[in-house]
Amino acid sequence: HAHFCSEDKITVHFINRDGDKLTAKGKPGDSLLDVVVDNNLDIDGFGACEGTLACSTCHLIFEDHIFEKLDAITDEEMDMLDLAYGLTETSRLGCQICLKKSMNDMTVRVPETVADARQSVDMSKNS
Amino acid sequence: QDSRCGLTGAGYRGILCSLPGEKKEFLQNGPDLQDFVSGDLSDKSRWAEYKGNLKREKGERLHLPPWLKTKIPMGKNYNKLKNTLRSLNLHTVCEEARCPNIGECWGGGEYATATATIMLMGDTCTRGCRFCSVKTARSPPPLDPQEPHNTARAVAQWGLDYVVLTSVDRDDLPDGGAEHFAKTVLHLKERNPKILVECLTPDFRGDLKAVEKVALSGLDVYAHNVETVPALQRKVRDPRANFEQSIRVLKHAKEVQPGVISKTSLMLGLGETDEQIYATMKLLREADVDCLTLGQYMQPTKRHLKVEEYITPEKFKYWEKVGNDLGFHYTASGPLVRSSYKAGEFFLKNLVEKRKTKAI
Repeated sequence: HAHFCSEDKITVHFINRDGDKLTAKGKPGDSLLDVVVDNNLDIDGFGACEGTLACSTCHLIFEDHIFEKLDAITDEEMDMLDLAYGLTETSRLGCQICLKKSMNDMTVRVPETVADARQSVDMSKNS
Repeated sequence: QDSRCGLTGAGYRGILCSLPGEKKEFLQNGPDLQDFVSGDLSDKSRWAEYKGNLKREKGERLHLPPWLKTKIPMGKNYNKLKNTLRSLNLHTVCEEARCPNIGECWGGGEYATATATIMLMGDTCTRGCRFCSVKTARSPPPLDPQEPHNTARAVAQWGLDYVVLTSVDRDDLPDGGAEHFAKTVLHLKERNPKILVECLTPDFRGDLKAVEKVALSGLDVYAHNVETVPALQRKVRDPRANFEQSIRVLKHAKEVQPGVISKTSLMLGLGETDEQIYATMKLLREADVDCLTLGQYMQPTKRHLKVEEYITPEKFKYWEKVGNDLGFHYTASGPLVRSSYKAGEFFLKNLVEKRKTKAI
């Protein structure tokens, strides 16, 4: 492996579905899917299609100021993103977003799945 | 070589030679690697003693319970099958989806009892479901027009009397590959009219004309997997798939080909409740699905869903009874049962023969 000094690394915080904060580092040019996989982050079923734009399991929600500066979305990404559960105004697919220096210390949120939402509804019904 | 303890092959042999006679004998007669990895499945009394956690807690990853450990496939028949497939450029779902039964099904006795599920239309799917490790791409390579012919030839070479054909999703093709499927069945039946063919199809995006094409191709069993209970469909499957659509596929196959046997499959252990499983089984029976298989979900790679629960062999047997009581012709239920697991095929073969003689 080539040696990268820590100054080249970009820190990303992931807020997981259960609210846990996972912090990981990546190199410029790594996709957010790369970051999750390379750091073995505990995000269930993330990146099922291995970044080929054939699923929406790497759906992430970005902070406004980060979202605005992201590269424009392609039609292919849009097709898959449209199918994602819990879509927001600042949603993108993690496999298409590559790290830039300006993203250092950003926080991204892993959206709930349908099952998660159902469970929280059930639990509030019981309380 | 074992790089962890720093021994090379030569170093290891050297150590062996320097052992006293009795130790050497002990090493030679004692357990070898194969014994360790075989998992000792035959000792079923041990399963009840298993004290490991079966239901996943937050942040945990469950360990594999003993009843799910299988032998590493090896042997002449296994290799023979593998070579036949390779030489004809065919793909099996057994390999692509890392099925734990591959050793058992492929290695079974003479060729005639060996079973493989052939995957048509390549090894690359247009969807990325969270439970499946088959490769994915937006535009997989074009279909091999020789495939229907090659498949028929390979199956004839094997002398198989029951073959399962399945495929990846091909949302990139206008008919989802239905014509290709149908052609394969036709060729198979041409070469051997007695052969029993089961097709495990995609949902063709709900295109019922495509379903019809396959259903009328001459097959004996029409299978399509609902995969999980309705509440978990969105979490487990690609969003382009859903329960209602899958039910429609199964119903339609029977509508256009009343003699056909329909079949579906459920994976357990993804977080479903008993109530949900029962309700789903009822829905399936109401849709006149004939055969049901239930198996344990196993996480194929770290990019896929974690196992939420390992269901015990006893619980699987319970679901088998429920299925039988609900009136399915056959319920194959067990941790390692998969849609085309060999045990079901034997029974189905009898069932189809029964139906044929009844019809006469």
